[in-house]
Amino acid sequence: MTKTILRTGAAVAALTAALPAAAEEITMIVCGDTMDPIHEKYIGEWEAANEGWTVAPEVVGWGQCQDKVTTLAVAGTPVALAYVGSRTLKEFAEFGLIEPIPMSDEEKASYYPNVVGTVTYQGEQWGIPVAFSTKALYWNKDLFEEAGLDPETPPATWEEVIADAKAVTENTDAAGFGLVAKTFDNTMHQFLHWVYTNNGKVIDDDGNIVLNSPENLAALEAYKTLVPYSEEGPTAYEQNEVRAIFLDGGVSMIHASIGAVSRLADTDINWGVANLPLGPEAQGPGTLLITDSLAVFSGTGVEEQAISLAKFLTAPAAQEEYDLNAGLTPLRPSPTIDALVAEKPYWAPYIEGIEYGGPEPLFTDYRAFQNIMIEMVQSVVTGKAEPADALAKADAELKELE
Amino acid sequence: MPGQKTAVLFAWLLLLPAVLYVAAIVAYPLVDTFYLSFTDASLRKTTNWIGWANYEKIFDAEFATIIIRTFVWTFLSVSLKMIIGTSGALLLNAALPGRAVFRILTMPPWIVPMAIGIFMWGWMYNGQFGMISGLLQRFGLSDGPVAFLAYGSSAFWATIVTDVWIGVPMVTMYMLAAIQAVPQDLNEAAWVDGASRFYRLRRITLPMIFPAAITMSMISLISTFNSFDIIWILTQGGPSGATTTMIIDTYSTAIGSKKFGEGAARAVIICLFLSAFAILYFRAVTKLSNRMAT
Repeated sequence: MTKTILRTGAAVAALTAALPAAAEEITMIVCGDTMDPIHEKYIGEWEAANEGWTVAPEVVGWGQCQDKVTTLAVAGTPVALAYVGSRTLKEFAEFGLIEPIPMSDEEKASYYPNVVGTVTYQGEQWGIPVAFSTKALYWNKDLFEEAGLDPETPPATWEEVIADAKAVTENTDAAGFGLVAKTFDNTMHQFLHWVYTNNGKVIDDDGNIVLNSPENLAALEAYKTLVPYSEEGPTAYEQNEVRAIFLDGGVSMIHASIGAVSRLADTDINWGVANLPLGPEAQGPGTLLITDSLAVFSGTGVEEQAISLAKFLTAPAAQEEYDLNAGLTPLRPSPTIDALVAEKPYWAPYIEGIEYGGPEPLFTDYRAFQNIMIEMVQSVVTGKAEPADALAKADAELKELE
Repeated sequence: MPGQKTAVLFAWLLLLPAVLYVAAIVAYPLVDTFYLSFTDASLRKTTNWIGWANYEKIFDAEFATIIIRTFVWTFLSVSLKMIIGTSGALLLNAALPGRAVFRILTMPPWIVPMAIGIFMWGWMYNGQFGMISGLLQRFGLSDGPVAFLAYGSSAFWATIVTDVWIGVPMVTMYMLAAIQAVPQDLNEAAWVDGASRFYRLRRITLPMIFPAAITMSMISLISTFNSFDIIWILTQGGPSGATTTMIIDTYSTAIGSKKFGEGAARAVIICLFLSAFAILYFRAVTKLSNRMAT
């Protein structure tokens, strides 16, 4: 009997030793509909180079992705590596849910300017940028011509964009400018385009809230000025809905991402793309810099390997391949990107705006920040508040929030 | 008596699965939510007991506005559902040709997955591409596009209309069943006595279906008070908070801002209101049953 027990014990021990330890799997959440083939390929390469380690990616739809990652972390069963909006990094970092991912000076220098800033909080990097989005101005040349404007000359300044929008509204059946003001995150994003094309900021380098500034006031006033020359009821439309109106010839100008190019290819619209028009205080072309990042969650026991995997997936060659395949704004300059811009000039405004662009400001309660900004924009667009009052109110609320 | 004890024990044993199920699915989350509402639970790994602080924080002018808006929204929506649903049931009960087809036609809002129905309404409300705006322009009732979700009052009504569209079939079917349960001989006797159609409706049908109407109203009230999907998909509570009801506010606080403690306090307030509705409902049902019995 004793022998049988000993034999069984030995067999169990041998089997346990033969099984891979639970710590040798890296769980990963990827947001989207399918696993990107480029990432799949590089995950395979990383697994081959790290014998005994496997990666278990799970694809989660955008609608539930961020909530799932957060819920798992709060429940104490975090995923090792996850795709997150960089705007959530501060929240995760402050609550000790993610690991810092230090970057060397060389690594930082490899990115376009200001990109590393989107994942930096209190001097440390808390994620590695994996997807990048910038915006540019699209204009409908036929509508410009119909309005008596030069179809080949897009507006370069706010003054010009307002004048052009007015001309289109008054002389055609279309609206001049596609204004975004719905209760939706990209209302804040669109307003930040105006902030970052006028040398404005929401948080200064010392971490102070500086929303109530002359630069931002000018931005909000410009937004208000455009209301009569925009589509009816801007508070009903978010960015993609305004893009749909542009694709239908209903507005003559919009701020949009590179994704609009492929959609425009399916239309008869005669279009052009240019840098976002600049405000009076601008120092150069600007745009909002939005990144998504790979974040490494604490408490999994595989943090080191997760960081290794994240760095492998976002190394320059792999990242460039991913960016080009997915049609995203490239994160790093390179000869390939120079060639891309030369071949397809519509990429140029997306790259040029980066230099003076700014990040989504990092707040611990990002959703509350977003709501304050949306309310500010909506109150001005609907005429409930004057820009100066709305800006002062939002500034005070943000200070209270922090 | 040992035999009686065994019988009681056996009864409890039979009830045990249900008790455990209710404890796990209802009681535990409810108690936990009450507990959370007294803490500062957030993404932070530790939570502290903060007493009534969450309740003190939420009771301000803005929250009062949200409570009033929720009641107005619920009252309008339930009233419209009851009026349209009951009228529809009366029509469907009438001996009209093609009645069966009409009965089937009332069902789609109930059959179509709710999210799809809401997106469809969102599309219809669209000022640029929407059917309603298009029809208004075609018939010369509007000079240009009308974006129904762009303005506070129109967005408020738009969400009510969508909620009514989704809720009417259930009311119709329920009230139709109640109408069909009215004894036919009462109507026939009144008809023989020369009572008009309207008189019979007023003095026989409506009083007879009144208990069912009360029951349906209370069920509808509870579900409408908690209606989340419609407002969230159509407006996310905007513009400028014009469609933010208590459930939207709770979701934004607890899930959006990850203030689980504060969100739980808001959920507790909703729970108290719904409990009050439930008590009213049971009292009304008891009263009506007693009246019917006498």
